[in-house]
Amino acid sequence: MRYVKISKADTYQFLERLKRRGTLYAPQKVSELSYDFKLLEDVKEIAFGYPRTIRPPRRFFYPAEETLFTFDTTRVELYEKMPEDETVVLFGLHSCDIVGLRIMDSEFMDETPDPYYQQRRKNSIVIGLSCLPDEYCFCNVRRVDFVDAGFDLFFHELPDGYLVRVGTVTGHKLTDESSDLFTRVTEQDINEMRAFETKRAGMFRLNGNWDSLRYQLELRMGHPMYDREAEKCLGCGNCTITCPTCRCYDVKDIPSIDGRTGERVRVWDSCQFRSHGLVAGPHNFRESKKDRFVNRYMCKNAYNRTTTTAYCVGCGRCTQFCPAGISFMKNLMEIGGYVEMIPE
Amino acid sequence: MCKPKVGVYALTSCYGCQLKLATVSKILEISEAVSFESFYMLSSASTMAPDVEVAFVEGSVSTEKDLEELHEIRKHSKILVALGACSVNGGVQSWAEGDKKVSDLHATVYGTSKIDAAPLQATPISKHVKVDYYLPGCPPEEDEILYFISAFLFGTFPEPKDFPVCSECRMAGNPCILIERGEPCLGPVTTAGCKARCISHDVPCIGCRGPVPHNTSWFDSLASVFKAKGMSRESVRARMRIFGAHEPNLEGHLDKIYGGTK
Ligand code: SF4
Ligand code: SF4
Ligand code: SF4
Ligand code: SF4
Ligand code: SF4
Repeated sequence: MRYVKISKADTYQFLERLKRRGTLYAPQKVSELSYDFKLLEDVKEIAFGYPRTIRPPRRFFYPAEETLFTFDTTRVELYEKMPEDETVVLFGLHSCDIVGLRIMDSEFMDETPDPYYQQRRKNSIVIGLSCLPDEYCFCNVRRVDFVDAGFDLFFHELPDGYLVRVGTVTGHKLTDESSDLFTRVTEQDINEMRAFETKRAGMFRLNGNWDSLRYQLELRMGHPMYDREAEKCLGCGNCTITCPTCRCYDVKDIPSIDGRTGERVRVWDSCQFRSHGLVAGPHNFRESKKDRFVNRYMCKNAYNRTTTTAYCVGCGRCTQFCPAGISFMKNLMEIGGYVEMIPE
Repeated sequence: MCKPKVGVYALTSCYGCQLKLATVSKILEISEAVSFESFYMLSSASTMAPDVEVAFVEGSVSTEKDLEELHEIRKHSKILVALGACSVNGGVQSWAEGDKKVSDLHATVYGTSKIDAAPLQATPISKHVKVDYYLPGCPPEEDEILYFISAFLFGTFPEPKDFPVCSECRMAGNPCILIERGEPCLGPVTTAGCKARCISHDVPCIGCRGPVPHNTSWFDSLASVFKAKGMSRESVRARMRIFGAHEPNLEGHLDKIYGGTK
């Protein structure tokens, strides 16, 4: 680990240079209340102080829809369609989203290597950015508010620039190539960073950790919260589509009009949809809206393996973007018996 | 290869679905692959109902003649596909369902003048005959039209979509206009497939693709969101009925949220 410093003005210059390394995406304002990672054409358009984006960064490596291969039924042949060998540079990921990507990696690379995901991911550059929590954030109780792996560089806000944490060899190269833009870190910078961290820690609505939540959930499968909240649910899938760690997909064959060829595509699916639990028969593992609702709570908090304590990184998207106004955080607090402390 | 015979028929409608089918970019390839036995938009020599493998029926049953024709079509086709909002859900002409008598509507529009067609309350075709597949939209989307025809050519069947426009809206990266501006968007209860066309143009969804099938259109949940934003039962009901007047759950769900009064 190494720390360097960059001024605000030079950060724009650095972003300009990053464009040469690949296709650069960064958070930008898209409406009164929303932000999204978008292609950064004009570096001035970047929103440094954004709360969260609508779409999670996983879409750059695992697109909402992609063709896996095309086929020809008369020749009985498949033609694999691998992604282009291009570098995606993601600037401005908060720590929750970086852990979200690590969870994706654990599923798509460590667990069952997925060539499409791997191909896109292997050349990518990930640059983190510090943030201040809003009412929807609870990454701290998920213990991912500070990230120690999964980024090449991490920008910590200072009053006059950024303290940059270097995470990988690629990160070293990026700062070395632009050594004219980076300076050494001073004692004052370190104090400023610590002051920022302290201020940030005091802004979360919750404290402690939720490591025992998975057990609370297993023990309270019949909790009345599920009936009450599932009743409000629209089954729209917004919570899963915006989640940085949702990974369910459906695979479909789209035939062509020639009656001979076609393509196999995969599209993001959601456990909130009826057909997600539908199997031959036609039996359905999750017959009711409530069954589907419960599944998400279990998937995010109890089914995870080892990367972190949960597959929910506390980013708050599923709550902010739920048209029915259902608060995932509050519902989990109810089951876990956790207490909110509204900061002054 | 023997070409499957296809018929494209219209009941009461604007003919837009037929026009959409006639103008899809691959219409020449489609005409190579299938034999159109009847398709007024392509040939005025078309006649009614010879035997076909697949019949696409647009329009709602709104006259006695529509009903007769529909039974004729069903009798002469192996697969029957309801094409478009009128055929699938009754279309906008169904808005008076249960509210106004068709004789009163007729009198309001035509007065006492005599017209040929004996009117019926507009209904989706599934009220009268067995429908094998539903291809929604006002008009349907080009990729879905191609998907349906291609699936039949492959000897398989088109999978229905059982999830709402909302999911596509989110994948498109649109900000939610229901959450941010409180606009009465019907995306959460409307069948996906248009890739959130209207919302992507900053206009709330009016539900033209009809309620999500398999009883997964949660009108009650959406009505409660609308109610919390201050919308009246009447305005919510009117909006949900533009393309959903025949939805059996609609009134019950509205009653549940707003109480049993109209
Ligand atoms: S479950 Fe919700 S809060 Fe947790 S990671 Fe997913 S979107 Fe974020
Ligand atoms: S089961 Fe549901 S919550 Fe879990 S990854 Fe799949 S879509 Fe997301
Ligand atoms: S976003 Fe909200 S309403 Fe939609 S499926 Fe998720 S919890 Fe239900
Ligand atoms: S704008 Fe409409 S369709 Fe889009 S997410 Fe919001 S409610 Fe759903
Ligand atoms: S957004 Fe709604 S109204 Fe617009 S095309 Fe799609 S279903 Fe129809």
